[in-house]
Amino acid sequence: MSTIAVDVGGTFTDAIYIDNEGKLRITKVPTTPLNPALGVIDSIKKSKGLNEVEEVLHATTIATNSILGQINLELPRVALITTKGFKDIIEIGRQNRPKLYDAFFTKPRPFVPRELRYEVNERTTYEGKVLKGIDEDEINDIANDMVKKGVVSIAVSFLNSYANDENERKVKELLQDRFSFITISSDVSPEPREYERTSTAIINALLQPIVSSYISSLASSLSGLRSPRFSIMSSAGGLISLEEAIERPVQLIESGPAAGAIAALELSKLLGIKNVIGFDMGGTTAKASSIINNEIEIVDEYEVGGESHHGRIVKGSGYPIRFPFIDLAEVSAGGGTIIWRDKAGGLNVGPISVGAEPGPASYGRGGDKPTITDANLAIGRLGENLAGGQIKLRKDLAISALKALGEPTEVSLQALELINLEMARAVRLVTVERGLDPSSFTIMAFGGAGPMHAAYLAEEIGVKSIVIPPEPGLFSALGLLLADSRFEARKAFPKDLEQAFSELEAKLREKLGDVDEFLRYVDVRYEGQGYELRLQVTSFDRHEIEKEFEELHKRTYGFTLSIPIEVVSARVFAIKKRKKVGLGEARENGVKSPSGYREAIIRDHWEEVPIYGREGLPKGFSIKGPAIIEEYSSTTVVPDGWTASVISMRSIIIERC
Amino acid sequence: MVPWEIISKASSFIAEEMGVALRRSSLSPNIKERSDHSCAIADSNGNIVAQAEHIPVHLGSLRVGVKLLLKEIEKEGIGLNEGDMIVSNDPYITGTHLNDVTLLSPIYHGDNIIGYVVNKAHHIDIGGPSYGSINPFATSIYEEGLIIPPLKLVEKGNIRRDILSIILSNVKVPRISDGDFKAQIAANIAGIRRVRELISKYGIKDVLDGWKSSIAHAFKLAVDEINKWPEGTYFSEDYLEVGQHELVKLKGKVTIAKNKILVEFPNAPKQVEMPFNAVLGVTFSAVSFPIRSVMRVEIPVNEGFYSIIDLRAESGTIINPVPPAPVSGGNLETSQRIADLIFLALSKAIPSRVPAAGSGTMMNVMMGGFDEKKGQRWAYYETIGGGSGARPNSDGISGVHVNMTNTMNTPIEVAEATYPIMFTSYTIREGSGGNGRYRGGDGMVRSFKVLSKTRISIMASRFLSSPWGVGGGREGKKARVVIRKANGEVISINPLMSMVLEEGDEVIIETPGGGGYGEPE
Repeated sequence: MSTIAVDVGGTFTDAIYIDNEGKLRITKVPTTPLNPALGVIDSIKKSKGLNEVEEVLHATTIATNSILGQINLELPRVALITTKGFKDIIEIGRQNRPKLYDAFFTKPRPFVPRELRYEVNERTTYEGKVLKGIDEDEINDIANDMVKKGVVSIAVSFLNSYANDENERKVKELLQDRFSFITISSDVSPEPREYERTSTAIINALLQPIVSSYISSLASSLSGLRSPRFSIMSSAGGLISLEEAIERPVQLIESGPAAGAIAALELSKLLGIKNVIGFDMGGTTAKASSIINNEIEIVDEYEVGGESHHGRIVKGSGYPIRFPFIDLAEVSAGGGTIIWRDKAGGLNVGPISVGAEPGPASYGRGGDKPTITDANLAIGRLGENLAGGQIKLRKDLAISALKALGEPTEVSLQALELINLEMARAVRLVTVERGLDPSSFTIMAFGGAGPMHAAYLAEEIGVKSIVIPPEPGLFSALGLLLADSRFEARKAFPKDLEQAFSELEAKLREKLGDVDEFLRYVDVRYEGQGYELRLQVTSFDRHEIEKEFEELHKRTYGFTLSIPIEVVSARVFAIKKRKKVGLGEARENGVKSPSGYREAIIRDHWEEVPIYGREGLPKGFSIKGPAIIEEYSSTTVVPDGWTASVISMRSIIIERC
Repeated sequence: MVPWEIISKASSFIAEEMGVALRRSSLSPNIKERSDHSCAIADSNGNIVAQAEHIPVHLGSLRVGVKLLLKEIEKEGIGLNEGDMIVSNDPYITGTHLNDVTLLSPIYHGDNIIGYVVNKAHHIDIGGPSYGSINPFATSIYEEGLIIPPLKLVEKGNIRRDILSIILSNVKVPRISDGDFKAQIAANIAGIRRVRELISKYGIKDVLDGWKSSIAHAFKLAVDEINKWPEGTYFSEDYLEVGQHELVKLKGKVTIAKNKILVEFPNAPKQVEMPFNAVLGVTFSAVSFPIRSVMRVEIPVNEGFYSIIDLRAESGTIINPVPPAPVSGGNLETSQRIADLIFLALSKAIPSRVPAAGSGTMMNVMMGGFDEKKGQRWAYYETIGGGSGARPNSDGISGVHVNMTNTMNTPIEVAEATYPIMFTSYTIREGSGGNGRYRGGDGMVRSFKVLSKTRISIMASRFLSSPWGVGGGREGKKARVVIRKANGEVISINPLMSMVLEEGDEVIIETPGGGGYGEPE
């Protein structure tokens, strides 16, 4: 089957096309930020004759960018229907201010203005007992008012609907003939905590009209094809159908980054490596994800538009969404991150970055602020020709920008050490928080800048082996080709586990038809705790689950308690396997000698470092550091003390020697 | 040579990791939902080198508390071995109120203590006559709960059952307290482990030098900032409710001088036999918070920053009491007013940076009783935010905590599932923010019915005085609490109350709005 995978990034839209014989072809076209569908269509057309594509896989930023206002798009008018007395819950949030010491702080503005928040006289208890049902007349009046005010999409969120969704469903039934887009909170987030659930429902309601029109515009442009199957990457790292994407678009928020993490997961399975840290470093951010026993870590909550503080989003700074997300710790650390001195002369990196325009000083497009790319260039780790010579960097401009901060070499070395520390922080978040020792992991480094920093990061956290995948700069697009279809369903406070799982699985079968595998999880805690630990369910036996929980608790926090244990939620992922593409193998007889030498500082002194071209290296070939390996989409630095070897799947492994 | 910036940054990451371990494994909603806790690393002299920023009222108090605690340990001749952890909640030592339990551990390198990790967390109940311990009618600290003097809770890595048993026998929901103590221990273990890793990576000398430089760096940033402010002495006045009907006047005097800020409280009221006395640690926090907030640079919060503040507080007064004065409300309410007072004085020096007064009360609600349906005792503590003051360039924010606290609310669905109460509203109190060129943020309305017999206590302020406006901006609305009895009777209550509610009684709490900024147009 011929498949195309399209990943829309901030600057470029990457496409990888695979034909019937399994041959890969790579295309990069500029992204049109105001109309990302253009880049997608363009890349498909450029890749191959339209008619031949049978399947399109897509990672999109449409959801996040619409919410962040990065697309010139008027947001649809969304109304909220909620329990009487509680219309301001979305405005109050958790009542904290996102910044402690800022007298000029702001809170995110609610997407539903007060005049579009409707209160309904209804009530359900925490035990799920309906104290007051829905009055049809009341809903009709609200409907009339919403029509008058031009409401396009509706979120319905009632107190305690996680325990019983009866009243929410009733409202949906009453409104569905008059409105195309209705989200009920118990459908998108059937869990307690009214603010987070309501916020999730509102974001879903906001995205429904946007995603629906984006998808139909894509579909109509592709109608010349022999109707290819179309799937989109979800934040949980599985491909979902267009229908699912339109129904619950909240799950597209981290579509792009999830594709990268899934790429790391699938390649690590192919290579037989069980515990992996996915390390994705691009132009503005670095992201870390963790893979444990060939399973990727999933979290339940994310704040879109939130401010990040050392890798974690500051609570209350964005709009919370409760839905499964691949756990990514994100720090402002990329090639474009700015190096600067504070008022007392301390050197700092980030969090501001220069963006695509004007870019780092060395791009010669008018930027005068020194960046991480400039630092790497100044000390020779990065060469002056990028992307096979398509981009020329100017070392003189990099050095003169760095000079403003002090002796350029010294500044560069110190800045790179600081940024590696910042990234180590992100890695610790996705490992230490779960009681895992990062040094027992392998780093898989990708993104344009990942392979250049990977060894230094590894030394910081004690990691002894690193994998550089094929096409590291386009690895996220490659991830789409490696992903499975994956749908999620969950239930809060299941009474009977076996029954809960069989209900959830029946629901997923209805959506998906045949399912290859169900992955069952439970979130467990001591009664009264606010955070759960997640276990994969291998048996429905209560004692077994409790025993596993206690072991994990001990490992994570160092103690156990003698109080009852409760299962907070049951969750199932239905997996439908897709045929995976082969990544191919490196050639048997290639070039074993350096293509040249360059003066660079790998540790603390200048030296002649051999430069190798990755494309020509044969399988099985080893290089002892110090060395630099260059390719179309990235540059890999191998410091002394490390050895790089070309292994299967066109990958490179770098190990401590 | 390792640049100190790296040591400095790594150390503040460690403090944050400690907070994560504490929050995720704790049981009390105060910690897990509301993040009412703080973590820090101190050097061997007790100077704070790195802190995780969680709750303002804890932060400055650790600066005072760690040093006093070390002094007390030395005085008592308590030797600290590797694997020991000292627990204490004595506010006159650790610097806030009895509910805040401090746990301190030495970090050993070879035979020497090279520093300490410390964390402080608000326990839901620490004994005494009131549910939640905070007792509006305490006349001495003995009525506010169990006083734990500095003791080894952990000795050479083992929890001392005897100590823990004494504590747990005095609290109302021991299983929750037990979990919270263990979470605090877990946080220190995590902190020590990571500092050790830092030492083995960079060497002891670089780490200690890095800490020193980090403090020096913060000091330089701070003095460079304040030296740009106009030198001079600035005065302010505000009022605090002490008791049910009485207002006392507090006066602030802030002198901006070269390299330091001198803070005094002329004619400070004598300490009172009511829980409104703020121990020195609280007063120091409430003074350092406004100063930090008006600075326009990012400054690591450590000894370097703190040392620019010269606080003079006369002993035996409401802002620096001596035992056995009760102190719980000093931490909660007096601290808010001290912060208001310092902000007001600073607004005269650097008007473009200081907002009008925010709600100025934490609106503390303590409830508890015996839940017949579940067959267990319960204790619930909540604080309710209000409006923030209007700023020189923008309206205030509605429905947030201001000044010395930043705890999150307990979600209604979590509270209803945990306690025998049912909420009737949670909204913005429209029109409560003061008018002005820029409006103060609005306060909130939070109301609920109790489903079984319940004792409720409220400790709050800004019932009798209003949050002030600046430059002609109007005052925010005062707080108001009303109880609507099941039999229809309506009782309006005072800032300090405790009473028994019967099933079906409704409590309606309205919090103050912030003051306005500039004449209304």
